[in-house]
Amino acid sequence: MPTQTVIVPGEVEDRYIGVIHARDFQRYAVAVGDLNPIYFEDAAARQAGYRGIVAPPNFLTSVRNWGPGPFEGDLQRDGTEVENLPRELYGMRLMGGGHDLRFGRPVYPGDVVRARRRLIDFYTKTARFGELSFAVYEIVYFADNGDELVTCRETIIAAQ
Amino acid sequence: MTMTRPTPFFEDVAVGADIPVLVKTPTSVQIFRYSAVTWNSHRVHFETEYARAEGHPDVLVQAHLHGAFLAQMLMDWIGPHGRIVSYGWANRGRAVPGDRLTCQGTVVGKKSAAERGLVEVEIKEVNQTGTTCAVGTAVVALPVRDRRQ
Repeated sequence: MPTQTVIVPGEVEDRYIGVIHARDFQRYAVAVGDLNPIYFEDAAARQAGYRGIVAPPNFLTSVRNWGPGPFEGDLQRDGTEVENLPRELYGMRLMGGGHDLRFGRPVYPGDVVRARRRLIDFYTKTARFGELSFAVYEIVYFADNGDELVTCRETIIAAQ
Repeated sequence: MTMTRPTPFFEDVAVGADIPVLVKTPTSVQIFRYSAVTWNSHRVHFETEYARAEGHPDVLVQAHLHGAFLAQMLMDWIGPHGRIVSYGWANRGRAVPGDRLTCQGTVVGKKSAAERGLVEVEIKEVNQTGTTCAVGTAVVALPVRDRRQ
């Protein structure tokens, strides 16, 4: 069974992201409709000062789950995964809030990536249409040699 | 593959100047494929009836796809030798297939750093009615003219 991690606020959760494959980030770029040659052609990437093709800047932080993910029956009714949520938001209507990304070195095919994820803030606000909850995560992605790749602050907004 | 623009030099970028816009018109296929490659099974992105039950007119463009469009605009502007140092966005409005989304940016600050210049940009994505879908800021690094000659 895929495991589900329940997040305790403030607790650091280590995640194994895995080996980065060119095909995966190229599919990502194709889905976005971003055909920048530095994602596809080694020669173009080298000319641009990279070691070879690189992943699009927000590829790592956009993938919702790097493992197999939960079985369908373990998803919430709206199709989302509880693994990405604090317990207080289970069963609520979810929206992507904001994202802040700070980049380290580029992500190359073959990089072995890990992430440290931590809930850094959780608060509620009363809006015209009811109460909104905000969960703010900080996720640091780094290569197995310790190089920082990207740090992301992500806000998830939830409504009843 | 598309051709990218040449990288602008730090000295040639003026505070107050607009950067080239990027227009994106997401389709339901694009939204589906973006969900697939990001392993995002949220039903509001692929099931029209479900999206309507949540009060939306159609399936929704993912928060991260809005961000990806803004990143594409930045990367197109800074060209092969520019680098994004940081960027962020907040999702303000929903978008659905067929919407015409214009990503735009304005230079709001410049700062010299070692062997490169840092440029701060306010970025935004608006739909065909002028409603803001996403808003944010970015810092990009550009080469300094005399160092590259």
